[in-house]
Amino acid sequence: MAGRSLRAHLLRLLLPPIAALLALGAVVAYYPTIEPATQAYDQALVDIGLALGSHIRVGQTEYRFDLPPAVEQVLRTDRFDSIYYRVMSPAGLEIAGDADLPAPPGDAIAHNTMYKGEKVRVVSVQAPCGRSACNVLVGETMVKREHLARDLLLQSLFPDFLIALATLVIVWFGVKRGLQPLSRLSDEIKARSAGDLRPIDAAGAPEETRPLVGALNGLLDEVSAASRKQQRFLADAAHQLRTPLAGLQAHTELALAQPMPEACRAQLEQVHRATIRTARLANQLLALARAEPGARSVTSSVDLKGIAGGEADAWVRQSLGRDIDLGFELEPAPVEGDAFLLREALSNLVHNALEYSNRGGRVTVRTGRANGHAFLEVEDDGPGIAQEERARVLERFYRVPGTPGTGSGLGLAIVREIAASHAASMFIADGSAGGCRVGITFPHG
Amino acid sequence: MRLLIVEDDAPLASGLQRILEAEGHAVDVTPRGEDAVAAASQEKFDLVILDVGLPQMDGFEVLRRLRGTAADKTGPTPVLVLTARDAVDDRVRGLDLGADDYMVKPFAMPELTARVRALLRRSQAHGGPRITHGPLTLDTVARRAFLRGEPLELAAREWAVLEVLLAKVEKIVSKESIIQAVAGWGDDLSPNAIEVYVSRLRSKLEPASIRIRTVRGFGYMLEEFK
Repeated sequence: MAGRSLRAHLLRLLLPPIAALLALGAVVAYYPTIEPATQAYDQALVDIGLALGSHIRVGQTEYRFDLPPAVEQVLRTDRFDSIYYRVMSPAGLEIAGDADLPAPPGDAIAHNTMYKGEKVRVVSVQAPCGRSACNVLVGETMVKREHLARDLLLQSLFPDFLIALATLVIVWFGVKRGLQPLSRLSDEIKARSAGDLRPIDAAGAPEETRPLVGALNGLLDEVSAASRKQQRFLADAAHQLRTPLAGLQAHTELALAQPMPEACRAQLEQVHRATIRTARLANQLLALARAEPGARSVTSSVDLKGIAGGEADAWVRQSLGRDIDLGFELEPAPVEGDAFLLREALSNLVHNALEYSNRGGRVTVRTGRANGHAFLEVEDDGPGIAQEERARVLERFYRVPGTPGTGSGLGLAIVREIAASHAASMFIADGSAGGCRVGITFPHG
Repeated sequence: MRLLIVEDDAPLASGLQRILEAEGHAVDVTPRGEDAVAAASQEKFDLVILDVGLPQMDGFEVLRRLRGTAADKTGPTPVLVLTARDAVDDRVRGLDLGADDYMVKPFAMPELTARVRALLRRSQAHGGPRITHGPLTLDTVARRAFLRGEPLELAAREWAVLEVLLAKVEKIVSKESIIQAVAGWGDDLSPNAIEVYVSRLRSKLEPASIRIRTVRGFGYMLEEFK
């Protein structure tokens, strides 16, 4: 998981409170169980104390403690712990045992304390001796008790631990499940084409993702508005160029019709060619603007045959000047598309073929259907496009090195964009008589 | 012929004027739609070349008003619309309003002069029965053809094919449209039959330097007579 993982973040957020709850749960479960256990152990010590007390002998002036070694042995014997005792007279004088065993403070009957470097539990027992009571302290190291405490703690912690584990597992998978609507959303966005700037449908999205969808749609709106604005600008600019270009072309053609020195004529012819090239460039920019993703397209049912037939006149006029045999093999090829763009695509292909064919060459425009797909193509018998150049000629402004003529390098790039905007594919193949065959195959029709 | 150019771009207007004057026409120029409407209501022009993108009154409005004048109703003046836009809407709108042809700027001058000639010829054909093309003359009423003043013998179908080509000099005419125009005589015509008629026409017309170009796979074009 790259970047900031939502899961890890959630787990980081959840772990401290879960740990705190566990600790609290352990404490809550621990004390109610440790209390009776402690009392039971204390009771055992009290019993020892009482047993010890029964060995106090009351004399005239003093108390004697008469404990047979065998009994002491029994009393002091414990599997885990060391047992200490201290017997005191009612007046508080030492009678027997470990004189330095600390007594519980005040009226307390039991306490935990340190003795001989170990923790001990000491209980105070009042044993009858004569008319009053002697104080017997019984101490015991805490090995047993700590064992018990640990066992009790573990017993109470184990279910808590299972609950915590279950929580983490639920979070881990729950996050994945919970994020499913988001991944569905991202799949939907991924599946879109680059030019698809339509808003995302928020109807199917869960409540929580609505703000995200809303924000995305807002962004898409802005992007498509900006794109429309740019296209409008490009189209306006191209349109605005046309009128002065028409004037320029009119005057150069007029001037060329006049007698003039050869040097002048050659230069004026250059001007004329540049004018025509600029006019063509304006048209190409217009086509590019229209073919851009998100452009306002004017889609209708069109027949490629009709489009080619409609332009045949202008193309033949161009071919006459170049002494090229421009022919047509037009069969019906109905497609859904933008007539302006399709005309521009075909015009670019024809223009390229005429531009790069040799004088006396042969160019054929074809439309029709093959394998259920409508297609348009232009074949020439010119120099062709080398295999390794075929990908590059589709780039904008790229021209094959050493190519004669005055192309802008936009023609094929425009054809490709127009193909893409129709979800169609462009191809470059070898021509049947040298040269190449360039065209578009449409997905339906 | 008397022509009116309505174009607000001065260099283009003057270029068009000089080219059309060189073709032998009398040409008036105005940059304003209002003036064009006023001029057309006073005099009869044989052809109006009208720019769509005029300031104030645009070309469409001018066209609408031209078509509304009484003089226009008796004999409509052909209108060639020029536009810097190529939106399909513009074209449809222009043709709906009664434009006769439509050109997108910029254009080659031979293209413009060819269209002007074609429009003038067509409007003349409405008025008179004779169509001429260089040394060739067709009398559409008597259905007789003359070459250099001499009667030219043409079979009925040859005549029909020539009439179609002559109506669109310097334009490609598809075989299909020739068949449609000629097949009025009854039986089916194959594209091959059209080829036969065209080759017969060629052998009769080429001695007079009238050329019919074949556009491979498409049709024919009667070339400009030089």
